[in-house]
Amino acid sequence: MHIALITLLAAATEETAKAGKSIGLGVGGGLGAVGAGVGIGIIFGKAIEAITRQPEMRDEITQLQWLGFALTEACFFYGLVAGLLAAFIV
Amino acid sequence: MNATEGGTTKGKSSAKRTLLILAGVWIGGIVVLGAIYGLHGTRNKVYEPQNEFKLESWVHLGIFSINKAVLYLVLAAIATCVSMIYIARRMQARPNKVQAAVELLYELMRNQITGSAMSEEMAAKWFPFVGALFLFIMFSNLIGYIPLPTNTEHKIDIAGLHIPSFSLYAATANLSIPLVLALVVFFSYTYEGVRAKGPIGYLKGLIPGGVHGGMAVAIFFLEVLSNFMRILSLTIRLFANILAGHLIILFMAGALAVILGITALGWFTLPFGVLLFAFEVGLVAALQAFIFATLTAIYLGGAVAEDH
Repeated sequence: MHIALITLLAAATEETAKAGKSIGLGVGGGLGAVGAGVGIGIIFGKAIEAITRQPEMRDEITQLQWLGFALTEACFFYGLVAGLLAAFIV
Repeated sequence: MNATEGGTTKGKSSAKRTLLILAGVWIGGIVVLGAIYGLHGTRNKVYEPQNEFKLESWVHLGIFSINKAVLYLVLAAIATCVSMIYIARRMQARPNKVQAAVELLYELMRNQITGSAMSEEMAAKWFPFVGALFLFIMFSNLIGYIPLPTNTEHKIDIAGLHIPSFSLYAATANLSIPLVLALVVFFSYTYEGVRAKGPIGYLKGLIPGGVHGGMAVAIFFLEVLSNFMRILSLTIRLFANILAGHLIILFMAGALAVILGITALGWFTLPFGVLLFAFEVGLVAALQAFIFATLTAIYLGGAVAEDH
């Protein structure tokens, strides 16, 4: 094989690795945000529904709502951390 | 400010006017700064604000080196102990505002966090642990939003004194501290479960009731795995929330402009920085502490529960 071709291939693989890392970060952060966004929307929507149905349960529902919010929000961070790992460490 | 003094309609319109003026100043500032300094900048390599996350050893002691995270950890511990002991010593029958706030926090920890997840006897026993976790994490998060002169990477000159530049950092924005807290939680609920049911009983208790045969074996391994995943999820939830909050405040409040060297961008992102700062201080700091403590209480309660 020609030297020129080898260097070209090496450069291409390097670029591909970079692209893969960027895709990893984008998918981890972006899809994570999509999923968590849908989840948080559902939680707050259901909480509002529940409170309008039973206003006397407001305190308990609010507590559960924040618990659910934080648990769902954490899922976004799992994706983000995985993406950052892919982009900067692996 | 004006809104409360005037009548309802007048207050509304004046608040609206203030908002419009602020928006005008903001957009005008972007245009003016963009026109003066241009929209293209050169990358700044001299001052790197992102160094506020870099841990530099101040006192070299091998793996026990003292760095920024240790300082924040100690600060949070001192703040928690001193403020709580001080308030407990000066309890009054007619509480002032601070005492009322602390009593509210106490009620929250007592009734909502421990009370709802455990039996009464167990709640009395584990309340100090869960309460201390809650307060410590909350103080640690909140101290993280006070700018302190800890960025020793860069010095600023004030009246001839070289002091480190001010930066935000929190003990919980470092992976190791949430990890240690999560490990403590893991070992304490495992210990409590083993003590209540015995080692064999505890492991058997991991299998939900009504599952038999080969299915039970598979479920057992899944449950053991999920038990270890709890450590990971507790850690990453706290760590990534606080770190991401700090990162986004940093970038919105000017680091983006400093790194890229575009002045107008700094003015553009500043309002978002202020809003995010308020969001993080007002909600996330306390909420993450609440979640950590609530999950601890739930795990502790679940470890001794007969069936799950």
